[in-house]
Formats: sequence, C-alpha cells, structure tokens
Amino acid sequence: MDPKAIESLVREVLRNVNQASAAGSGSALTAQDYPLQEKRPALIKSRTGKGLDELTLEGVKKGEITFEDLRIHPDTLEYQAEIAEAAGRPSLAQNFRRAKELTAVPDEEILSIYNSLRPFRSSKQELLGYADRLEKTYNATTCAQLIREAAEVYEKRDMLA
Amino acid sequence: MAYEDKTFKTKRFQVLAEKPVNRHSYLKDWPEKGLTAFQGVKDPKPSIKIENGVVVEMDGVARADFDMIDQFIADYYIDKSVAEEVMAMDSLKIARMIVDICVPREEIVRLAKGLTPSKFVDVVTRLDETEIMMGIHKMRARKIPAIQCHTTSATDNPVQLAADAAENRLRGFSEAETTVGVAPIAPFNAISILIGGQTPHVGLLTQCAIEEALELELGMRGMTTYAETVSVYGTERVFADGDDTPWSKAFLAAGYASRGIKLRFTSGSGSEVQMGYADGRSMLYLETKCIMITKGAGVQGLQNGSISCCGIAMSVPSGVRSVHAENLITAMCDLENASGCDQIFSPSDLRRAARTFPLVIAGTDFIFSGYGGVPNYDNMFAGANFDAEDFDDYLVIQRDLTVNGGLVPVTEEQTIAVRNRAARAIQAVFKEFGFPEITDEEVEAATYSHGSKDMPPRSIREDINAAQDMMKKGITGLDLIKALIKHGFEDIAANLFQMMKHKVTGDLLQTSAIVTAENQVLSAIGDMLNDYRGPGTGYRLEEDTETWEKIQRIPQEIDPETYES
Repeated sequence: MDPKAIESLVREVLRNVNQASAAGSGSALTAQDYPLQEKRPALIKSRTGKGLDELTLEGVKKGEITFEDLRIHPDTLEYQAEIAEAAGRPSLAQNFRRAKELTAVPDEEILSIYNSLRPFRSSKQELLGYADRLEKTYNATTCAQLIREAAEVYEKRDMLA
Repeated sequence: MAYEDKTFKTKRFQVLAEKPVNRHSYLKDWPEKGLTAFQGVKDPKPSIKIENGVVVEMDGVARADFDMIDQFIADYYIDKSVAEEVMAMDSLKIARMIVDICVPREEIVRLAKGLTPSKFVDVVTRLDETEIMMGIHKMRARKIPAIQCHTTSATDNPVQLAADAAENRLRGFSEAETTVGVAPIAPFNAISILIGGQTPHVGLLTQCAIEEALELELGMRGMTTYAETVSVYGTERVFADGDDTPWSKAFLAAGYASRGIKLRFTSGSGSEVQMGYADGRSMLYLETKCIMITKGAGVQGLQNGSISCCGIAMSVPSGVRSVHAENLITAMCDLENASGCDQIFSPSDLRRAARTFPLVIAGTDFIFSGYGGVPNYDNMFAGANFDAEDFDDYLVIQRDLTVNGGLVPVTEEQTIAVRNRAARAIQAVFKEFGFPEITDEEVEAATYSHGSKDMPPRSIREDINAAQDMMKKGITGLDLIKALIKHGFEDIAANLFQMMKHKVTGDLLQTSAIVTAENQVLSAIGDMLNDYRGPGTGYRLEEDTETWEKIQRIPQEIDPETYES
C-alpha cells in the first residue's frame, strides 16, 4: 500500500476519533448506555448547565440549587431518544424529540397551547398562529408541525371553534 | 342486580339469589349498540392499502373517509415497512406465533407494528384464556412484574394519606396514585403521598389523578413523579366529548416528557358504549384503537383493562377474557401495561379473584392499576377490586403459587415506624409553610389507623384554602425538600431529591420504568427487557432468591421444629 495512502487513512481515522470524543458520545447511544445516571453520568447536565455531581443535597442546604436546576436538558432528551430508537421504539423517540423542543417553552405556555388544541377551542388561524410562534420563538419545528396537522384535521372533521 | 324483582319458590334458588355474585347485572350482547365484547355488528373486516408510503385504506375505509382516529393510527401507528407483510398473514398463524415459545417476543413486536385494529381483534380472539395469559407472560415489556396502588382518603386527610403511602411503599408497591374527594384539595393529596411515599426508602412513583391541565401543573411543580390519568377513546365523538383529540394528547405527552415526567395514557373497554357512541363497534375493537393511538403518540405505556367501565365490560359474555385480550394487545404493542384489576365490579370474592389471578400468574408491568392500598370505604376511585383488607390473602397466594405479584410481607413494628415517621414529616411540612396545624393527636391516630374513620375530624375547608394558597405562592417540590431538611427529615428529603434527579436524567421516561429501594431504575431495556422463551427463561421467582425468601416468610408462618419442644 502506498505510504501516502496509509498516512491519509490514519489522518482520517484520527480525525474521526477526535470528532467523536469532542461530541462526547460519538455515535448514537444504545441500551448499553442506559440508565444514563448509572452508565453515562458525565453526559448529563441540568437545563441550567449544572453537572449531575453538582446536584446534591449539600447543595440544596447551601441554597445553591434552584428548582430550575432540576429540569431536564434538551440534550438529555436527545440521548433518551437515541436509546429509545436503539430499543426499536421510534414513536417514543419522536415524542422525546418533541419534548426536547418544549424544554424551552414556559409551563404556562405549554398549558395554554394544550388547552387551545382541545376540540372546538380554536380557529384554524389561531392554531396556525401557535405553530408559527413555537417555530419562531422556540425553534420547535416538530411541535409546530403537529399543530399544523391538527389544524388541517380539525378543519376536515369540523372541530374548530 | 341479577334476578331483580324475582321471587323463588325453592330454598336453593333463594339461597343462590342472595349470593354476592348476584349483586351484579348480566346482560345479553347488544351488538348494534356496541354492548358486546368483540362481535360488534359494524366491526370492519381487516384490510390495508399503502401507496407511496401512505395508508390509503385501512379496515375497509378509504383515506378520504378517515375520521381523526383512523388518520392518527394510519399515520402514526402503522409501520408501512411491515404492514403489507403481516396483513397478508393468516390471523390464526399470528395467534399461534404469540403462544409459540420458539417465536421470540421481538418478532411479535415487529409484526404488531403493521396490524390494523380489526386485524388485531381477529388475531387475539383466536386465543382462549390460557393462551392469552401465555401471550402476556411472553409479551410483557419489563422482565420483572410490579404493582401499583390507590392511596386515597374519604376525607382527603393529609396525615392519613402520608402514613398510608409510607406503608404502601413498605409493602412493595412501585407506584401510588391518589385522587380527591373534593377537587381543590388535589395539591395537598399530591404532596402527602409524595412525602409519605419516600419515607421507608426511595423509589415510590406517585401521581394525582385530576383534570388534565392541573395534573400537568402538579407534575411541573415537582409535586408528582408520574402521570396516568390522560384518557384516550376509540371513537371520534367520545374522544371529543372527553375534550381532547389524539393531537392534543400527543402534545400533552411531549409536555410531560419535556419536564422529565413519566407518563402513561389511560383507556379501557366499555368507555365508548358507556358514553353512548360506540357506533355499533365492539368494546375490544374500540379499545384496540386506543392502544394504537397511545403507541402512535409516542407514549411509553397505557393503563387499560376496562378500568372504570369494567362493570359494563364484565356484564356481557366473554367480558373478562376480552379485557385480558386488551392487556395482551397492549403488551404486543411493546407498551408498558398497567393492567387494570382496579375498580370493583362485583362483590363476589370468587369473581374478583377469577378476574385478577390470571394476570397475577402471567405477570404484567403493573398487575394492578391500582390495588386499593386503603380500605374500600376510603377508595376515591369508586372502590377497588382488591384492597388493604386483602393484603394477607394476596401474600399467601403469592407464596402458594411461587409467584411474584409485587408485594412482600411486613411486620407490624416496621409498619408502625414508617407510618409514624411519614405522619411526622407531613406535620413538619405543614408547620413550615403555615398550613393548618397537624396535631400530635392526628399523627398518633394516623400511625395506628386502618382508614379515615379512625382519624380525628379535620377542617377540609381550611385545608383547601391552604392548598390553593400553596399553588398561588409557587411552592415547588424543592421547597418541600428544604422544609424536610430543616425539620430533621433529611433521609426523606434525600429520597425525594433522588426522585427529582431522575427527572433530570430522563431515565424514567423509557418504557416501563420503576425505581427500586436501592434507587436503581428498571425499565424494559437491555437485560431488563422481558426475555421469556419458555421454561428456564424469563423472570423466575425461585431464581430471584432474595424476593422468594421474603415472599415465603409471612409473619404468621410457624417453624414446625418449635412443635418438638
């Protein structure tokens, strides 16, 4: 084999290895990585960026932990989605990816959109408005898609306000 | 009531008429109204047509005529890569594969992804009761079965709820759900079982069954650790009457997961006929649609087994078998199944045992959803099929059959200790936040009580006001932890904190998750996935020696050697 070719192969491998370690996990997670708390604790951080090792009762006593620190990070939902996919559960993974988008959406807004999605509550325009807002404000594209689809179905089945 | 207004001339018939089994009505099938287990006059014939990756016909209905439920199932449930293969298979062959120990669970799960609602019904109705149970034994998601309880109080008494939740966890329940006598008290009931449940050790998952939006809010505030009372229905009209659609429910599901909260949906045979719009479809056919909606929405599990409509389902021929078949379909869909056995439907001890023990023996993810963890008069889910007065029967039957039904024997001393500590913990939390005082007399009563009748009276009006105030002030689960630490309940605080950390890791979101007393998360993944392949495989109680030892050693057991002296 041409030494140049070997060199370029080795460089390619090294680059892949470096990229993988930079990404933290490299390839998608599987059942081997579950439960994350036990198998991959270093991967987990709270939504506010605190590591799992920082979430301690001592921290609570010192007043260093807020309720926001006990919220799940969107990356963690992506890891769980990968695990669900590896377990042959694509619809569960899809739910986790919608959830990942909703981590950025405040409680009240989730409650309010949920109520608006109930039958006979909203006009088509209103539903499309919520979808746009989710997409533009929170980059929640899959959730927006779900709402747009609901608007179509509600129109067809006469369930709009 | 059976034999209503009928009088008998013979003593034999008079005696039989008085038996508990005759305090339930038995109805002839009425297929036109959907009052039939699995033979609705309008149950369609199985069919599927897929064009360009889109389902264009399902069970004889063209896509243009789909209602919202058909569309959701066609687009979110049906796996187009397997549907044509499995729909072309003989239903009898699929039924035989379910009970064939040489066909692995994974293969049935793969095929089930392509079944339509009618085909599911056509397959499972080929199975007799024994075969349904063999199917559940193999298809259950989690390797180890578990059990859920109802922890409720007829007077919504927070001290009693905390003490009962503690005892329920001690006895082995993995989940406890509460609900309310009066709705505005919900936040207090939620925190009472939350705190009580973490008293003996970590791990009890708790929820409060209440209107959907408030239930979500309680979860977001850290006052519950899972949710279940999120109902789905099998006809469009009933779904809308229930004030939801598959899309609103799918959005709600994502909302729960976005806060790391475990969720399962709820459905059950008979709800559509009870609400008057079964459209001539059988109970099992409509329930199958609910199961498929749940799977399509990306929810990890489902509570079914008729649930609050079992009085109807169990009044018709094959009612119990059909309800067990819906549990099997749920397992085939690779969903966690909390398999009912909950609401009381008959005062006949024989009948309630016959409805329940096949599932205890087969084992499901949660055999009961739930078992009444309190006496029946305190059960605010309209009574339970099994309750606190059946604990010893249940424990002895587990021992008789070498079956892990989820409960373990406890001693009175252990029980007194955890009940008292839980009652003191909730007393301290109430004191910290200035809620209506919980007296030492109440703590003492809760420690030794059987139910709310043994508790001193308490002003529910004041508790309701305080509960509403707690919600307005924005108190969270973390504030409860701080209060517990401050008042010397650091062990309970630590356990509660662990439960909150599980929400950060998202581990409880995977299929069929429970938390052990050692804080280990077990779900249907990897080596905790059910791997039953016939004798010598799967979960076997005798190989789980520690649990088998506990189940054998009921406190009333006598060592025969003591007779020698």
